[in-house]
Amino acid sequence: MNAGQDNNPTANGQDDNPTEEDLLLLAELDVLFDKVDPMPADLVERVQFAIALEDLDVEVARWQRDQELAGVRGAGPNTVTFTVEDLTIMVSFAPAGGGYRFDGWLVPGGPHTVEVRVAGHTSTTTAADEGGRFAVDQVPKGTTQLVIHLAAGHGGRGRTVVTPTLVL
Amino acid sequence: MAVDTWEGLSGHDRHAACLVAAQGGNRRALDTLVTDLTPLVWHVTRSQGLDRVSAEDVVQTVWLALLRHLNRLEHPRALAGWLITTTRREAQRARTTGYDRESPVPNEGLSDIPTQNDGPEQEALRDDRDRRLWAAYAQLTERCQHLLKLTVLAGRAQYDAVAEALHMPRGSIGPTRGRCLNQLRDLLNREGGPQ
Repeated sequence: MNAGQDNNPTANGQDDNPTEEDLLLLAELDVLFDKVDPMPADLVERVQFAIALEDLDVEVARWQRDQELAGVRGAGPNTVTFTVEDLTIMVSFAPAGGGYRFDGWLVPGGPHTVEVRVAGHTSTTTAADEGGRFAVDQVPKGTTQLVIHLAAGHGGRGRTVVTPTLVL
Repeated sequence: MAVDTWEGLSGHDRHAACLVAAQGGNRRALDTLVTDLTPLVWHVTRSQGLDRVSAEDVVQTVWLALLRHLNRLEHPRALAGWLITTTRREAQRARTTGYDRESPVPNEGLSDIPTQNDGPEQEALRDDRDRRLWAAYAQLTERCQHLLKLTVLAGRAQYDAVAEALHMPRGSIGPTRGRCLNQLRDLLNREGGPQ
């Protein structure tokens, strides 16, 4: 038996003395949560890829999912939009060769650097034009992430914006 | 070859050692935290009513947001709390931006909240004991459900995080959880448990 289980809560954190029966039930629940709603099998791997960045001082652009829900998915080029405070990233991708062609648009525009990371492949880097347009040919299929190195303005240090991964 | 400082540790000690190493630039330590704590982030996200696809985005966003915040976590103990709080905020944000617009399937995410549904997930529970336990769990108050889920996923040493997320005094987490477990057992034992 757990000799401490009748202790009153105290200030030093000794407020938890679960019985063995409690611990068994909690362990059962632990297993059950994963059975009822299992994580996608590759989620941990995708997160690990997404955060394997050279520079950790990054801002995260969020995926505007509503566009995809609106039924854009189909045979034609697909478009996804990511936003972070003062930057919008739009990317269309169309099958090309064994992979994809990316056509993107950064708003507001500027001579930003766009890096396309694909798991298991070398990154491709391209420069956006003054209007914020960029294109990348032959992006391999796989877990893909965009890293935007914003052109430094007014002599300040350039910011880096990253997206969550998409699986193409 | 250097041995990882978190090797052989478990629970809170392991996460603390990983966090300290990660703050020092150890990428393996960061990957270990992702492996250990992504289930927590995933289930907290899903508890907020997001569909699986949106939940995957939120999980990634939370971990990416941590990168910048990594060195601002002074106490290793604060990590789980930061993850829970940030995950809830991101999930709510995703839900708002996803549903405020003209989405043709506005309730997709709301219909598969695991804590409130006895639909398809039942099929995944072939084992009778699991089915009864899940049915009993589903009859608990929402507060009990959240408390049990968070303490299980965050680890027993991280009550601070759970207390903060549930707006409860830390000292009441243990006793409240004990009562929730008793209720769960009562439900399970009632005439052989719920069908």
